[in-house]
Amino acid sequence: MSKRAARLFFLISTLVSALIFTILTIDSHRQFPRLTNSAAIDARVIAGKHVWHRQNCTNCHTLLGEGAYYAPDLTQITSQRGAAYLREFLKDPSKFYSEARDGRLMPTLKLSAQEIDDVITFLTWVSRIDTQGWPPRPILVRGSAVPGAVIGAGPSPAASQNPVEVGRALFNATPPGCAACHSIAPGVNIVGPTLAGISATAATRIASPDYHGHARDAAGYIRESIVEPNAYVLAGPTYGTAGHSLMPSDYQQTLKPEQIDQIVAYLLTLR
Amino acid sequence: MRYRSQAVAYPYFVVALLLFGLQMVFGLLAAAKYLGPDPLIGLLPFDVTKAIHTNLLLVWLLTGFMGATYYLVPEESRVELYSVRLAYLQLAIWTAMGVTAVVGYVFRWTAGNKLLEQPLPLKVVIVIVMLMFLYNIGMTIRAGGRLTTTEGVLVAGLACTALLYLPALFEFDNYTVSIFYRWWTVHLWVEGVWEMIQGALLAFLLIRMSGVDREVLEKWLYVIVGLTFISGILGTAHHYYWIGVPRYWLPIGAFFSALEPAVFLGMAMYAYHAIRRSGLAHPNRMALHWTIGSAIFSALGAGLLGLAHTWPAVNKWTHGTLITPMHGHMAFFGAYVMIVLGMITYALPGLTGRGEESRETAANFWSFWLQIAGMFGMTMAFATAGITQTYLERILGIGYLETQLKLQVHFLMLVATGLLFTVGVALFLWDFFFLAGRPVVVPEQDGRMPARAPVA
Repeated sequence: MSKRAARLFFLISTLVSALIFTILTIDSHRQFPRLTNSAAIDARVIAGKHVWHRQNCTNCHTLLGEGAYYAPDLTQITSQRGAAYLREFLKDPSKFYSEARDGRLMPTLKLSAQEIDDVITFLTWVSRIDTQGWPPRPILVRGSAVPGAVIGAGPSPAASQNPVEVGRALFNATPPGCAACHSIAPGVNIVGPTLAGISATAATRIASPDYHGHARDAAGYIRESIVEPNAYVLAGPTYGTAGHSLMPSDYQQTLKPEQIDQIVAYLLTLR
Repeated sequence: MRYRSQAVAYPYFVVALLLFGLQMVFGLLAAAKYLGPDPLIGLLPFDVTKAIHTNLLLVWLLTGFMGATYYLVPEESRVELYSVRLAYLQLAIWTAMGVTAVVGYVFRWTAGNKLLEQPLPLKVVIVIVMLMFLYNIGMTIRAGGRLTTTEGVLVAGLACTALLYLPALFEFDNYTVSIFYRWWTVHLWVEGVWEMIQGALLAFLLIRMSGVDREVLEKWLYVIVGLTFISGILGTAHHYYWIGVPRYWLPIGAFFSALEPAVFLGMAMYAYHAIRRSGLAHPNRMALHWTIGSAIFSALGAGLLGLAHTWPAVNKWTHGTLITPMHGHMAFFGAYVMIVLGMITYALPGLTGRGEESRETAANFWSFWLQIAGMFGMTMAFATAGITQTYLERILGIGYLETQLKLQVHFLMLVATGLLFTVGVALFLWDFFFLAGRPVVVPEQDGRMPARAPVA
């Protein structure tokens, strides 16, 4: 090969590659609105994005897997934790985590209530971007007890149409993200209390004098806890604040009635 | 040194190396924070430390590229620089920009966009400095009326560096779109046009040190740069895997980034071939060390370790874990740090008026091997941590925080090998500032220096 031919090879291959790249870029722009749900980008999402940048979040956390590796990925955090929890967390992370226990801690950013709401709105929008199935299984912030986890795969889909089995699959899926906060192992309290033996525990809870809800039996208690978390809030620093549960309170809207039935049926099996 | 204006490279190297030293301080701090608890959390939290660490890297490497270019272009075009004064002014503004950025980060003045944290006013300054630089180089080449392939590739690489920085000036409301264009700057720099710069500097050093025919080396330079763009441009797709872009980027990323190792392998073979022809005869043996080291280490770090996690089926699990800094550290070191240190070591005898063999100091020798050992160790620390993290957190589904606690032993190794690397860097600085001598003051003549002082 002569030097002339080498130069020609360089010029042509560069031009062809750049051309293909440009065409694909144009086509990507055509698809961005659908893939990223860009119609939902309103002033609040943009304000939240500014908070995200101003606070340099990406130099500790990853979002869509991009950023720094010092703190957990936040792509699905709003479906895993819910807005109520995140609001309290962002006010003062040291209420939820400690350097002594976890080795590191997020600094308190002194955000205004508006900024906190905005960044949560932004992260909620991010959680709905089409990421081609990434992450293949939920990335948890904390909590390691996942009994029966299928190694190397995502949460296993329901093996049958049995309501208990469908409920089990739902419980482990994100959304609704139940398993991100509740373990089913005794004594393992991730963010919400463990649900080990909840079917039996429910009876003692209903009977206790400080219970003022409407449930008459275990099934009723579990259903009430899902659709109306404030009816009875267990004492615990990460469970609630001032009598208000930190659990998302919109499952009545986001889940179908039969899905709630299925989750209740599954949890009733935990004795 | 054949032209007196080449001396302007010296202050560029001074600034580059001082920032390199500072980069180590922030790197060690960041590594120590992985061990937790962090006593500096209120003063200098991880995000600030990390942003300064990576920004210093980019700034000092670019300073080194500029210095190397000011040294190389007069020799290639056989003419004095168009304006030495402009080069000094450019360095002053550039340094002020760098220092302002670092101080600004400490006080939380940041754009908060990974690697492009520079606030908009500073980004504008960067563009102005790059334009000053390209103008000065362009006018020099015009005055000389001679453009070699080597310097052509180098200057084209630098011009594209400036051009590809422009998307960073824009803000996009859609986060996915903003990531999409962030990679036009970051990826197309380090896996595109900076490789042109590396290839050109490598070609220059090999031509000067091996004595192999320029026509042969420049022909292969074209081939390498051509391969770089075939794999690099469409290889951008490996950053487009899970961020809300169309699915066809997955197979494109897999195919074209799998070609990237070929480029680095080509560069290593290129250097090996040249050195074999010449029999390693050049008296500046430390410059040879750094040059050959760059060709080999970039093949390992950028080529093989990049390939290790570029396949979508692998990346699905490793995306966003410590596997990425494993690749990043060795790739940047091999491809860009070593080639800049090679240029500095090659240029120093000329700049300080000493013999070619004067770089053969114990400090420089140990600097080379401690940096090699330290970087190899850091890469291993990130690799073992990253593999463990991928398995525990991503595959078994254990929480992020519990997993990080299980990685402590790897973080200890990271700190230890980082210290080793830092000692290597300190020795390089010691050698440069205290052993290599001061730059020679050249009396005003007809502008031309006599050819290099005869070696005693």
